[in-house]
Amino acid sequence: MAVLTTKATPAAISVVDRFRLSTAIFAGNAAALASRLAGKGSGASVRGQIITRLVPDAFSLLLQGRRVLSVSGTNGKTTTTHLLAAALRSGLGTDANRLVTNADGANLHYGIASALSQSRRADIAVLETDERVVSDMIAKARPELLVLLNFSRDQLDRHHEIKALGRSWRKALEAAGHDGPVIVANACDPLVVWSAGTAAKVIWVETDTVWHADGALCPACGELLIRIPAAGRDRWDCPGCELTQPAASYRVDGGTIVLPDGSAVSPNLQVPGSFNVSNAACALAAAVEFGVDVADALAGMHTVTAPAGRFATARFGETDARLLLAKNPAGWAEALPLAQSDPVVLAIDSVAADGKDVSWLWDVDYEQLAGRTVICTGPRAHDLAVRLAYAEVDHRIEGDLKAAIVGSGSAAVDVIATYTPFQAFLKMAGLR
Amino acid sequence: MKPVEIVLIYQSLLGIYGDRGNAMVLRKRLQWRGIDAVLTEVEPGDAVPADGAVYLLGGGEDAAQVSAVKGLKTDGHIFDAVEGGAVLFSVCAGFQIVGNTFTVGEHDEVIEGLGLLDVDTRRGDVRAVGEILSTWTKPDGTETLITGFENHGGFTTLGPAAKPLAKVEIGIGNANDATEGAVQGKVIGTYPHGPVLARNPELADHLLELALGHELAPLPNPELDELRRQRIAFVRKHGRG
Ligand SMILES: [Zn+2]
Repeated sequence: MAVLTTKATPAAISVVDRFRLSTAIFAGNAAALASRLAGKGSGASVRGQIITRLVPDAFSLLLQGRRVLSVSGTNGKTTTTHLLAAALRSGLGTDANRLVTNADGANLHYGIASALSQSRRADIAVLETDERVVSDMIAKARPELLVLLNFSRDQLDRHHEIKALGRSWRKALEAAGHDGPVIVANACDPLVVWSAGTAAKVIWVETDTVWHADGALCPACGELLIRIPAAGRDRWDCPGCELTQPAASYRVDGGTIVLPDGSAVSPNLQVPGSFNVSNAACALAAAVEFGVDVADALAGMHTVTAPAGRFATARFGETDARLLLAKNPAGWAEALPLAQSDPVVLAIDSVAADGKDVSWLWDVDYEQLAGRTVICTGPRAHDLAVRLAYAEVDHRIEGDLKAAIVGSGSAAVDVIATYTPFQAFLKMAGLR
Repeated sequence: MKPVEIVLIYQSLLGIYGDRGNAMVLRKRLQWRGIDAVLTEVEPGDAVPADGAVYLLGGGEDAAQVSAVKGLKTDGHIFDAVEGGAVLFSVCAGFQIVGNTFTVGEHDEVIEGLGLLDVDTRRGDVRAVGEILSTWTKPDGTETLITGFENHGGFTTLGPAAKPLAKVEIGIGNANDATEGAVQGKVIGTYPHGPVLARNPELADHLLELALGHELAPLPNPELDELRRQRIAFVRKHGRG
């Protein structure tokens, strides 16, 4: 177990590199400011791009001299990163400014470099990390901890094979060997378990995973996985090889988190949904491994309300809209039960950040909305409308995002949106 | 009368692109016309019914293809069903496994398919990813557009017993050779997702007519007309997207 108060080994960066970095960050900040003034968002990505253009190894240099905790997986990265950062800050107390995090959800190389560039003295970095960046993060940052939440189908027009990312993680962990990170990982997800299989040490967390559709085959040998009935929840096992659901140290049980000593704690979260209890269990396990007291960690996690705008409520005209993000079928399976308003607003787009193929609409159980009215919005509103027609769910189309909320005729609506309309809603609400 | 049975095969293996939607579309289009329909979902290890009306296979990854072929061959009923005149509609990875051979893995290992369509699939020189638009000549000789989203690394070539389903206007299709899909008796393979039967109701009704042996009245749906208009306009303006 790590000790929270341990200071990171200072970076061994030459004076020349330090100067190059400072100059690049100065230029990046100017570009970010210009981007903000032009109303083009936070400027985090632009800042990262400028810095990286001027100092190509900025990502590596900026990671040096920090104790890194990385969070990845298909869904829940942003919220879990916020929960973990809040838990650590709580543990650090008056030293909370030792911590830097990419709170805005910008989780590729540029976004991470941008966040790090703004807190060069912070020696603890809690970094949301895109699945594609994890192997690089392991190689370059030597993280102390890596949280792996889940793996499911997502933007298949870009990620053709779900398993390919896991393969890259295995390779990176193998290369890191005993110098590699301690992994906190979801024991219920076969692909996660296989991906973490080459790590030196893993702390397993049994979660409330609702999406199992991408775990039919053993990632190691291709055999059909079987589910073994067990008290609590089923366990998965491969009849063809040794891969099996590992025994967990932490376990989600109803709304509580069962700790390694068998005692249960209530996370008392302000973010909704059982999936966030699972995220909190992973964050808690990571925080404790990093040396934070359970009580401190829980107190910190309780302060998290709307990570990067997720679950935020904003007023549009006379309507209060609660904004939920769902990026893929697993995300929709989690978000849909939370959206209880009638009407409910669903916003669909299909630019690169959303995934260009919206066939996934048919993987989502929209049938559960029967009896309510859906206002379909966003550029792919008609794809959703056709899906809802076949689900026999009442709906109407309102192409304009804001009009969909304002025209709902409701004092409060729940809104679920794919990535691009979600960001547009945040911007309209002044939340980014 | 026995309900019309739609058999959705191995969704846990071949269903990663919303392929379940094709089955939902077929069932609803029967029910909306007052025809009794039942959807049977078969998973590996379950017996495949031999007397279904329409069988559906969808998209999936390499290991899933190998597993699905193994399961279907061991079960064997799909061959009886096709022999008995059932409709088999297969999409993407499903299209490939219905053929004679296809390849999997980095080293392009050749796998024997079900041999129900005279096609062979090998790794293509590009991955086909994007919107696809093709022209389908219906049995009555009239033409209609098929819109969808293709995402496949395999290129499929047709043997003499199979005929192309459609002619590609925009997109890659079978092998960047202007042909899309294959038809052999009542076995049909195609690449587009969407799901393809959701975006192309005439193709959905064609499958049902093949299964029932009689024509069906159209089901007007202005939202679906508008969706088709949008997708066709998009691909003609932006190409594959
Ligand atoms: Zn196995």
